[in-house]
Amino acid sequence: MSIVPSAKPAGALYWPVQAHRNIGVRALFLVVLAFLVAYGVLFPGLFTASGFAKFTQSWFPLALVAMAQAILMLTGGISLAIGATVSLGAVIAATTMAGPLGVAGGTAAVALTGLGIGAATGFIVVKLRLPAIVVTLAGSFIIGGAALLILPRPGGVIPAWLSDLLAGDTPAAFMLLVVIVVLWKLYLATPLGLSLYAAGENPVGAYRSGVPVDAARVAAYAISGLLSTGAGLFVAAQTGSGDPVIGTAFTLNSIAAAVLGGIGFLGGQGTMRGALAGSLLLSLMISVMFFLGFTPVAQYVAQGLIIIGAVAIPQIRKVQK
Amino acid sequence: MMKSSFFASASAFCLGLVLAVSAGSAANAAANCIKGDRKPPYTIGWADIYSVPTWMKQTQGTIEAEVETLKKQGLVDKLVVTDAQGDANVQIQQIQSMIDSNIDAIILIAGSSTAPARVLADACSKGIAIINFDSLVDTDKVTAKVNTDSAQWGDQAAKFLINAIGGKGKILILNGPAGISVSDDRRKGADAELKAHPDVKVLAETNTPYNVAPAQEAVTSLLFANPEIDGILSLGGALSAGAVLALDKQGREQVPITGENARQFLELWKEKGLKSWATMQPNWLGAFAAYTAVQALQGKDVPAFVKIPLPVIDNSNIDEYLARAKDFPADGYIYSPYDEELFKKLLAQK
Repeated sequence: MSIVPSAKPAGALYWPVQAHRNIGVRALFLVVLAFLVAYGVLFPGLFTASGFAKFTQSWFPLALVAMAQAILMLTGGISLAIGATVSLGAVIAATTMAGPLGVAGGTAAVALTGLGIGAATGFIVVKLRLPAIVVTLAGSFIIGGAALLILPRPGGVIPAWLSDLLAGDTPAAFMLLVVIVVLWKLYLATPLGLSLYAAGENPVGAYRSGVPVDAARVAAYAISGLLSTGAGLFVAAQTGSGDPVIGTAFTLNSIAAAVLGGIGFLGGQGTMRGALAGSLLLSLMISVMFFLGFTPVAQYVAQGLIIIGAVAIPQIRKVQK
Repeated sequence: MMKSSFFASASAFCLGLVLAVSAGSAANAAANCIKGDRKPPYTIGWADIYSVPTWMKQTQGTIEAEVETLKKQGLVDKLVVTDAQGDANVQIQQIQSMIDSNIDAIILIAGSSTAPARVLADACSKGIAIINFDSLVDTDKVTAKVNTDSAQWGDQAAKFLINAIGGKGKILILNGPAGISVSDDRRKGADAELKAHPDVKVLAETNTPYNVAPAQEAVTSLLFANPEIDGILSLGGALSAGAVLALDKQGREQVPITGENARQFLELWKEKGLKSWATMQPNWLGAFAAYTAVQALQGKDVPAFVKIPLPVIDNSNIDEYLARAKDFPADGYIYSPYDEELFKKLLAQK
C-alpha cells in the first residue's frame, strides 16, 4: 500500500484531514467533555483508580457494541441482532470457562462464535442481497433462542480471578478499549479496512474501481459479531455469571450511540471516534443524572433533550452556513 | 420484567447464618452487611428495574408512603429513586452510583438473578444495608431477601385447577416471559402436581409478558386450534384477564382458571361468575423492604430471608378485595392490607 509518494506531505495532511472529519462531532465532544467535568465535580471519587475503573467498566460493553454497530453502518448495513449476540457471548463464557475448556478455551469459543455468526450474517446479507434489517431481525430470534437453549435461566459462572482482572479495581477495561481502538486504526490501513468507507458510501463506484466491496462488507459483519460476543464475555465477567437476556437493551443503545456519534444510516458517513463518544455520553448521562438527583421521569425527558441537542447543534450550524 | 413478581430461589432458603461483619460494632447481633457506623437519618436508594408497569408504580407508592412515615420518625431524610428502564446493565451502573454517593441503604428488585451479584457484594462490604425483594439475586452478600415462594405459587395454582376440573381434562398453561426466573419457578412449582395427574393433558403453553394484550392474543390463537379446553393454568400477572377476554370474545364458555390479584381479573371473575383462585405478589413488599432496611441499619437483627406467606383470594373473600377496588388503578393490583404490626410479625419469624 505504498501509493503515497512521500511521507512528508502525507504526514502534513494527516491532522488537517482528521480535524475535518471531526467537524460533525465537535459539538458532541464538547457535550461529552462537559458531562465528564460535571461527573468529576459531582463525584470526586472518579479520579481514584477504583472510581475510574468502575466508571470505565460501565461504559466498556456499550463502547464495544457501539463500535460493532458503527462498523456495519459505515458499510451501509445495520444489525438488530447485537443485543442477542451479546447475550449469547455472555452465556457461552459463563458455561464454558469453569468447565474443561477453561478461560482460554472459553474465550476462543466466544470469539469463534462471534466471528462465525457475523460472517454467516454478512454472507447472507451481502451474497444473497437480502436487506440487513430483515436478516438481522430474524437472526436476533435465532441467536436469542440459542442463548436461551444454552442457559435457560440466569446462571453459570465466570472464574473469580477473571472477573477481578477485567472488572476489579484496575482500569483493565479501559486498557482493553485503547488496544481495540489501536487495532481499529490498524485495520483501517489494511485493504479491507480501506474499502470499508468506499463500500458504504458508493458501492457501485467502489466495485468498478476494483475495491473488494463484498469482502469488505462480510468482514465488517464478522468483526461486528466478534465485538458483540466480546462485549458479552465482558458483561459475564463483570457480573460473574451468565444471563440469557442480559444483552437485549444493547441493540437499541448501540444504534443510539452510533447515530449520536454522527454515523449516517446510508453508509460511508461518520467516524468511530464519534460512535465511541456517543456511547460514552449515553453511559455518562446515567451517572451524572443520578448525582444531579434527577427523578426517573425527569431523566427520560433530559436524556431525550440531550440526545436531540447533541445531534441537532451541528446541523443547525451547517444550515446557518 | 414487566409486572413481575419474581421469585425465591430455593437456594435462598439454604442461606447460612447471618454473617457478622461488624467491625467493633456494639450491635453484636447486627444483620448481614451492617457495620453499625451509619447514623440516622438515613438515605435510602430504591433501585427500580423498570418503573413503567403499573405493578411497579404501585410498589413504589408503598415505598414512598413508608418513607414518609419513617421521615416523620426522623429515621430517614431522603429517598433516591433510579429507574434502569428494564436494562440489568444500567441497574448495575445505578447501584454503583448509589455506592459512590455513600448511600445508607439500597432496596432493589433485580433485573437479573445473577448480574448484580458483584456490585451488591461491593455495596455490602461498605456497610450498606441491602434489601432485595421480589426478583432476587443469587448471592448471600445482601442484608436480607424478601419474597413469596414462586414454587409454592405454581404448586397451589396447579392443585386448585386440577381439583376444579375433576382431576382430568385438557388445559392450557400461560407463563410469563421465557428466561425470567420467576416465570420459570412458578412453572416448575406446578410440575409435581401435573405429573401426579396423568389424565390432565397440557394442550399448549405460552410465554408472554405479564400483560393483558399479549396474553389475550396468544390465547385467542390457541382457542382456534383447540376446540376443547377444560381449564387454564395461568401463572400470573394480567395473563388471566387476557385469557378470560379471549374466551369471551370468541363466545366460548368460561373454564376454571387460576390467576393473580389484577383488578381487571378480579372484576371479570365476579362479572362472569368464574370458578377461580388467585394469589398475589403483594406490592407492600416495597414498603416492607424500606422498613426492614431501617431496622437493620439501627442494629436490629433481621433474618437473611423473609418468606412472605402467599395471600389467597377465593370466592370466600373476593368481595372484600373488590370492595377496595376503587382505591387502586383500573389496570392495577388489589393487594392485601398491611401495617407496621404485620411487618414486625414478619421480621420476628425465623
